[in-house]
Amino acid sequence: MKRTGYLHDNRYLLHDTGPYHPEMADRLIAVYNGIKDAGLLDQVTLIPAVRADIKWIKAVHDPNYIRRFEEICLSGNRTFDYPDNQMCVDTYETAFLAVGGILDVARRIMEGELDNAFCAVRPPGHHAERDQAMGFCYLNNVAIAARYLQMEHGIQRVGIIDSDVHHGNGTQHIFEKDPTVFYYSIHQHPSFAFPGTGREFEEGSGEGRGFTKNSPVLPGQGDDVYERLIQSDLLPAFERFKPEVIIVSTGFDGHRDDDMSDVTLSTEGYSWIMETIMKLGNRYAAGRVISVLEGGYCLERLGELAANHVRILLNG
Amino acid sequence: MFVSRSMVSQVITIDKDASVFEAQEKMAANGIRHLPIVDADNRLIGIVTDRDIRSVMPYRLIKEKGIAEEREKVAHLKVEDIMTRNPKTISPMYTIQDALLMIQKEKVGAFPVVDDEGKLQGILSVRDLLRAFINVLGIGQPGTLVGIEVEEKIGQMKKIVDAITEENISFGSVLVARTWDEGKRAVFPYLLTNNVSKVKKKLSAMGYKLINPMDWYLDKLPKKP
Repeated sequence: MKRTGYLHDNRYLLHDTGPYHPEMADRLIAVYNGIKDAGLLDQVTLIPAVRADIKWIKAVHDPNYIRRFEEICLSGNRTFDYPDNQMCVDTYETAFLAVGGILDVARRIMEGELDNAFCAVRPPGHHAERDQAMGFCYLNNVAIAARYLQMEHGIQRVGIIDSDVHHGNGTQHIFEKDPTVFYYSIHQHPSFAFPGTGREFEEGSGEGRGFTKNSPVLPGQGDDVYERLIQSDLLPAFERFKPEVIIVSTGFDGHRDDDMSDVTLSTEGYSWIMETIMKLGNRYAAGRVISVLEGGYCLERLGELAANHVRILLNG
Repeated sequence: MFVSRSMVSQVITIDKDASVFEAQEKMAANGIRHLPIVDADNRLIGIVTDRDIRSVMPYRLIKEKGIAEEREKVAHLKVEDIMTRNPKTISPMYTIQDALLMIQKEKVGAFPVVDDEGKLQGILSVRDLLRAFINVLGIGQPGTLVGIEVEEKIGQMKKIVDAITEENISFGSVLVARTWDEGKRAVFPYLLTNNVSKVKKKLSAMGYKLINPMDWYLDKLPKKP
C-alpha cells in the first residue's frame, strides 16, 4: 500500500461563501465523512495546513492582485471581481492555508515521506488568473504548486490533469506559453458551460504551443466519451511529454447527480479516470501524483467519490 | 453600433498601375484578401480581391510561383485591368446590423467604408463583423449559457430577466430564437456566472421549460432561403 497523504484542516471551513452558494464548507465535511466512513482514515497520513510563504504565490500571481485581494477581503467586502466570488474576512488567510498545505504536501512527496496525496482544500483555484479572481477561485493552487516544484525541487516537467467539469482557464493561461508545464483538461464543452474557454483548438502559444490540450465533452455524454478522449488525447500527450510529477485538478462536478453540469459521469467513471491517472503517474512520474480538490457540489455524492479517489491513491 | 467603431482604419491600398503579382504579394504579406484602390485624393476607384487575382492566374502559378514563361503571360496585367470599379461601399455611419444584412445580400467579403465625399475611411470585412458579433454575444467573458422555452406572448422576457436579476447575476447577452416550435420562442441568456443551478431551479419552479442543451443549436435554425 502507498503512503498517501490526506490534506485536511478545519480552517478550510472558515472561508464563508454565504447562503445558497454551491462552493460551501459542507463540501469538505462530506469529503471527510466519506473517507472516514470507508474506513480509510487509519490508512492515510492526515496532513494539517500550513500558511504559504507569499513568495510562492508571487511566482504565479501579480503582486498588485495579491495586495488587492487582501485589502478587499479585510475591508469586509463580500465579493471580489465577480459576484460569483463570495467571500468573508477569513478568505484571504484560508486561501494562503490552501496553497501552503499543498506546498507542504509536495515537499513531503519530494523528500520521500509520502508517495502521493489528496489535498481537500478550499477555496478552489483553477479559474483564478494571474491578476483576477474568477469562478469561486482566488489563488491558483495547482499553478503555484507546479512553480514550487520547479523552483524548489528542480523538477523540469510538470503535468497537470484537470478533471473538473469546468475548464481551468486560469491554469491554462498561466502556462500557455510555457513548454515545461503540460496542461490537459477534459470538461463540458465551453459553449454549454462556464467559463466559455477550453475549446479544442486552444493548444498553447509561442514556445508553449502543443503543451496545452483540451477535450470538450458535450452535454449528456459520460463515461464512454471520457474514456475515449482520455485515451486519444491525454495518453499520447503524456507519452511524449513524460511529466516528472503529475498534479491533478480534481473536480467531482461532472458526476451525473451534480447539477452544476450536464455531463453524466458515473461513480465508476470517476474511478476509471483516477486509475488511469495513477498508471500515468507510475509510468512517468515515479508515482508522484498530487491531487488537489477543485469543484464537486453534490453533497450526497462527494463522500463516496472522495473515498474511491483516496482508495485508488492508496492502491497506487 | 456604428461601422466606424468596428472597421479597420489603417487601410492597406494598392496603386492602380501595380502588377497583379505586386497585389498578390501585398495580400500575402499582410494576411488580407481585399485591396482598395484610391486616387491621389484618397477617393476610392476600385477594389481587387484575392479571387480576382486567382481567376486571371494559370493554376500552376498559384501553386508554384517560379515558372518564368507562365509568369510572362500575366506580367502585363495591372491591378487596373482586373479590379472591380465602383464597388459596393458603406458609410461609416452605417450600423453593424446594416453591414451584416448587406454582406448577406451582396455576397462579398468586405466593404470599403467611404465618407460623403467619396474618400476612403476604412474597410470592414467579414472578420471585423465576426469580432463585433463575438463582443455582442458576450462570450469573451466567463459565463454560462442557459436555454429557456417560452410561450410567444408579451411579458415573458421581463419575468425571466427579473428572476435572474433578483439572483444578482449579470447578463453577458440575451439571444432570442423566434423560429422554435410553433407558438414558442427560445430565450438564451448568457449569464456571467458559474452559479446557475439555483436560477435554473427557480425558472423551472416558475413553470418555464429549460431546453436540453443538445437541442440548442443548428437543427433549430431556419432553413436557407
